[in-house]
Amino acid sequence: MKVVPARPGRTGPPWWFMAPALLLFTFVVLIPSGRGVYYAFTDWDGLNPDFSFVGLGNFADMLRDADAKQAVWHTLLIAVSITVIQNGVGLVLALGVNTAIKSRNLLRVLLFAPAVVTPIVTAYLWRNLLGPDGAVNSLLGAVGLGDWRQDWLGNPDLALWAVVGVIVWQYAGYSMVIFLAGLQSVPQEIHEAAAIDGAGPVRRFWSVTRPLLAPAFTINLMLSIIGGIKLFDQVYALTGGGPGHATDTISTLIYKDAFTLGEFGYSIALAVVLTIIVAVASTGQYFFLSRNERAAS
Amino acid sequence: MNTRTPKALAAAVTAAALLAACSGGTKAASDGGGSKTLTLASVDQGSVEDVVKAFEKANPGVKVRYTTSGADQYQQQIRTQLSSGTAPDVMSVWPGNGNPAANYVLAKPGYLRDLSDQPWAAKMPDAIKSVAQYEGKTYNAVFGQNGIGAVYNEQAMAKAGLTPPDTWTKLLDFCRAAKAKGTPAFALGNQDNWVTQLVQYALVATSVYGPDRDFDQKMQAGQATFAKSPWTTALDKYLTMEKTGCFQKNPLGTNYEASQQLAATGKTLGIIQGNWVIALLKQKNPKGTFTLKALPATDDPADTLIPAAAGAGYGVNAKAKNEELALKFVNFVMSPQGMNVFNKKQGSLPTLPDTGYQVDPSLTELAKFIETNRTVPFMDQLWPNPKVQQTMLSGLQEIFSGQSTPKKLLAEMDADYKAGS
Repeated sequence: MKVVPARPGRTGPPWWFMAPALLLFTFVVLIPSGRGVYYAFTDWDGLNPDFSFVGLGNFADMLRDADAKQAVWHTLLIAVSITVIQNGVGLVLALGVNTAIKSRNLLRVLLFAPAVVTPIVTAYLWRNLLGPDGAVNSLLGAVGLGDWRQDWLGNPDLALWAVVGVIVWQYAGYSMVIFLAGLQSVPQEIHEAAAIDGAGPVRRFWSVTRPLLAPAFTINLMLSIIGGIKLFDQVYALTGGGPGHATDTISTLIYKDAFTLGEFGYSIALAVVLTIIVAVASTGQYFFLSRNERAAS
Repeated sequence: MNTRTPKALAAAVTAAALLAACSGGTKAASDGGGSKTLTLASVDQGSVEDVVKAFEKANPGVKVRYTTSGADQYQQQIRTQLSSGTAPDVMSVWPGNGNPAANYVLAKPGYLRDLSDQPWAAKMPDAIKSVAQYEGKTYNAVFGQNGIGAVYNEQAMAKAGLTPPDTWTKLLDFCRAAKAKGTPAFALGNQDNWVTQLVQYALVATSVYGPDRDFDQKMQAGQATFAKSPWTTALDKYLTMEKTGCFQKNPLGTNYEASQQLAATGKTLGIIQGNWVIALLKQKNPKGTFTLKALPATDDPADTLIPAAAGAGYGVNAKAKNEELALKFVNFVMSPQGMNVFNKKQGSLPTLPDTGYQVDPSLTELAKFIETNRTVPFMDQLWPNPKVQQTMLSGLQEIFSGQSTPKKLLAEMDADYKAGS
C-alpha cells in the first residue's frame, strides 16, 4: 500500500463522519454514566425511591473496607501479571509461528482459537478441568507427577494464579496475532542487511524487530491492562471471588455489593474508582508507550 | 462494568418493558379489552408453566403473559421494574428478609399489595406466617416449603452396610466407618458459596433452637449474639465433621454440580442438602433411590430439629394493572390444585394443611417433622439485612481454607447484624 503523506491542514477525515457514532455514544453511554455517577454520592439501595445524599461517605467507607482494599490489590496483581505473562507468551508464540516451520498456518489457527470462545464458556470449562478430580489433576497423576496435584480453585494461595492462567491460556493467542501482524510488517531487507553486518538472531531481534514492533506493544499492553483491571466474567464463573474473598476483584465486588447486598450507592462509588483507575492506567501507558514508539522510529 | 450504571440498566429494561407492553397492548385489544390479561414474573422455572396452564384452563379467556428467570437475574430485574413502575401484576417474592427480592425488602417501600384479606392468609402455620408477613400483614402467598437434611443414596448405603445415624456420636462413627470403606459419608460442594451454609443450618437448628425457640426474638431485641450462643457449638461441630472425614476431599474445589455427581453415583453415601437436590440426583442417576433424614447434632434423637423454610412465593404488585386477575391467580396458587401442581413439580411440601398432597416417600421424615412442629425457618430469613448471610458464606469458605476462624466469623456476623436494616 502506498502511503500518502497527509497534507498540512487536513490531518484526518471530516469530523462529521464521527457524528452519528458520537451521538449514539453520548446518549447510550456518556449521559447515563454521568447520571449514574450522581448515585455514588447517595445511599440509594436500588429500589427505594427515598434516598439521601451522603457526600463523600461512600468513598470514606471504601478506605475502611478491608474487602475493597483486598479487591484493589487483587485487581492490580491480576492486571500486571496478565499483562506481563500474556504478552510474553504471545510474543514468543508469534516469533515461533513467524518462522518457516511447516505447520505454521495450522498452529496460528489453533493458538488463536481460544480467543474466539466466549470467556464465560472458557471459564466454566476450566472450572471443571481444574476441579479436584478434573482433567488437570488426572493428567498430572497419569504422567507420574501425582504430588503436583492441587485443589487449584479451592486453595486461596493458588486460586488467583489459576484465574490468571486461564486468562493467559485464552488470550495469549490474541496477543500473538497482533505481534504477528507487526512482525510481518518488518521488511526482510533490514533483517538481511543486519545479518550481513554480522548481527546474530538475538541482536537482530533486539535492534531491528523490537523497535519496529513498538506499535504492536502499545496496543497489546493497553488491551491487556484494561482487560485485566476490569476483569469480571472469568473470575465470577471460575471462583465467584472465593474461596472467601481470595479472588475478589473490584468488578466482582461491585457486582456483589449492588446485586446481592443492595448497596447501590457504595457499589457505584466503587465503579467510579475503577473507571478512574482504568482511565489513568491506560492514558498513562498510552503516552509512555507512544513516546517510546516515536523514539524507536 | 464501569459504564453499567443502574440508570443505564433501568433505561434498557424500561425500553424492553415498553416494547413488551406495546406488543401486549395490541394483542390484548384484539382479545376484546385488557382485562383478561395477567402479567407475571416468576423464578419457578420448570413448574410455573404447568400452573399457568392449569390457571388458564380454569379461567377460560384469560391469558397469562409470564417470564421466568434464575434467582440472581430475577432479583435485579424485579427491583429495576418496581422502581421504574414497569413491574408485572404478580411476581415471585422470597419469604422473610434474606435477599434483595424478599418480602420485607419489597413490602417496606410499599411495592406489594396487602394480602391479609385473602381466604388462605389466616390458615398459614405460624412458622410460615412469620416470614410471609411484614408488620403483621401478609404480603406473600407462600405455597411450598423445603427442608435441609442428610440425603442418603440408598444403594450406596446398602453396599456399605450402614444405616442413617440419629445421634451426634453415631454420626461421627458413621463418618469413620464410611471413610474406612473408601466412600466418604457426604459430598460437600463448598466452592459455590451458598452451599457452605447448609451443614451449618442443619446443625444450628438443633443446637441453637433446640434449647431456645425464641433465639431470633432475643437477637432482634439485642439480648443475644451469635458469638455467645450455641452458634459456636454448631460451627465447632461442622469443623469436627470435616476433621473426622465426613466429607470428600477438597470441598472448596468441588462445586454444587460436582457434589451432586458424587452423591448420585455412590462415590459418597449421601449429601447434606435441601430436598430440592433429590430431583437433581435422580436426573443424574435415574435408578437411584434417595431419602432425606434429619442431621443429628446431639445424642438424644428427640432433640433433633430440621431447618425447613418457606420457599419463594408470590406477591401482588401494589400498582397491579389487573388486580382482580392478580388476586385470582394468587388464590389459585394457594388452592389445593395449584399448590399440588407446584409442589409435585418442585419436590417440596405444601404450606397449607389438608391439600390432599401425596408426599413422596423420600420426604416422609421431613413431612413428619413439619407436622409435629419440629422445624425452624432458615436462619437468614429473619436477619435484618442480606449482609449477615454473605459474611457467613464467604467466612465459612475462609475457615475451610484456613484464612479465618470461627470466633472471627461470628464476631463479624454480630457486627453486620447490629448494623441493622
